[in-house]
Amino acid sequence: MSGIVKKIIPYEICQGMALTLKVWVKGLFDPFRKQEDRVIVTRRYPKVKRPAEPGFRGLHALAKDEKGRMKCVGCGMCSAICPSRCIDIHTAEGPDFKKYVTGYRIEVLRCVFCGLCVEACPYGAIVLTEHYEYSGYTRAEFDYNMIRLLENWDKYMAGDKGKNYFEKFWTPKKWFFTGHKPVSKNAEVGKNVG
Amino acid sequence: MGAIDTLLLIVGVVIKLVVVFAVAMLHVAYATYFERKVIAHMQIRLGPMEVGWHGLLQPIADGVKLLFKEDVIPAKADRYVFMIAPMICFFAATSSLVVFPFFEGFNLGPYHVGGALANINIGLLFVLAMSSLGAYGVVMAGWASNSKYAFLGGLRSSAQVISYEISLGLSLVGVMMLAGSLNLTDIVHAQERAGMWNFIPQFLGFSIFCIAALAETNRTPFDLPEAESELVAGYFTEYTGFRFALFFLAEYMGMLIMAALGTVCFLGGWNPIPGLEKIIPGGVWWFLVKVYTLFFMYYWVRTTLPRYRYDQLMSLGWKVMIPIALANIFLTGLWKVYFA
Repeated sequence: MSGIVKKIIPYEICQGMALTLKVWVKGLFDPFRKQEDRVIVTRRYPKVKRPAEPGFRGLHALAKDEKGRMKCVGCGMCSAICPSRCIDIHTAEGPDFKKYVTGYRIEVLRCVFCGLCVEACPYGAIVLTEHYEYSGYTRAEFDYNMIRLLENWDKYMAGDKGKNYFEKFWTPKKWFFTGHKPVSKNAEVGKNVG
Repeated sequence: MGAIDTLLLIVGVVIKLVVVFAVAMLHVAYATYFERKVIAHMQIRLGPMEVGWHGLLQPIADGVKLLFKEDVIPAKADRYVFMIAPMICFFAATSSLVVFPFFEGFNLGPYHVGGALANINIGLLFVLAMSSLGAYGVVMAGWASNSKYAFLGGLRSSAQVISYEISLGLSLVGVMMLAGSLNLTDIVHAQERAGMWNFIPQFLGFSIFCIAALAETNRTPFDLPEAESELVAGYFTEYTGFRFALFFLAEYMGMLIMAALGTVCFLGGWNPIPGLEKIIPGGVWWFLVKVYTLFFMYYWVRTTLPRYRYDQLMSLGWKVMIPIALANIFLTGLWKVYFA
């Protein structure tokens, strides 16, 4: 019986129509709602940007220590593990017979943003920042050299960001073995390794 | 006498034509905006927001863009048929506007300004004839484009329009029987006299009309002629620039015509909702409210329902709609004989 009734009154169609109407009415009142209560999910992108989650893998940067020196020692681990072979490091012997980095180049267009370089680096010298809006007209613009990579650190990893990055998301493996003491209370680095 | 009166008549008709055409084009432009907004909100999106306040100038920006686009005619297309097809579509859709009574009419000095541009006695027939003429434009466009997508779209459209034209016409027969006239103004007056809009006694006819109007204007769920997912854009795949705009305008004008026809035949034309005549008297605003309600129904259905399969479309048209429409005519006849 109910089968016949459902066929005469297009029951499923009515259900669907009710659903769309409900969503429409909800959306109509959206301008009067607070930002976090809104039902409409799209953003007006260039005006309203989606904040990247911490630990997001965006544009590369070379980390600096507290004194503003480059952390990279030129060991070449990152370039060795890189699956797309986009990291190119040049080192030379300095006047004090120490190895120092003369060139560090990342071809960002070839990068697959796997984050293996960050994991491989024993000193936490390379990071993937939260910056994801970079575009250009030539390939050369995406050929980042050492100076530009260091600038990226100042631009996108300023303040606590850099510290949190390593303590919460991309801990250098070396920290597990050298008994690194976390600076902030919330960090749980190296707990399970002992 | 004579010459001056004729001149005044011509001037009056031209002014009315320009006003109706301009206003209708504006409504068509903003029908696209309305559609995009309604559909966007139903899909929890925002819709056009950038051009003007809440995207209000978007239709104008779209129109300007289409005007300045390159007009491409494919090398192997049938040139003249290709060029004529959009004009036929547009002409057929627009000319139906002439017979619609938008309001009661008023007296301007000694002259009576009618609510319709041409208050002809075969108004309803004229609208049906013109709406089926539009199918020629579609078929010609599909043939002349020399493209398989356009060709399939044209073929589907001809089959669909022919089968749904019948149920559309039959659904309106009940209205004609109740009003005893084909004149659209008389149909509205008949509903006024009866004190009841036709969609109550003719609810079967009204539902058939709504479904057939969707198919007639190639809207979802009957948008097989322009099925985006299979035929790119159907019969106007090869069209660009202003010729494309003509097809687009014709489609929306067709929707406007069907909504206006539904308003006049089933929803009491320019008459106010009973009980509200004291607050807002009858007039063109009531007509527009009803037209936009029907527009909203189009969009609502479009957001909700998926496309019909071709055989489903045909069997719905021939096996369900036409028998119901015929039964509706029979029942209306019985009602007329025994109760009226």
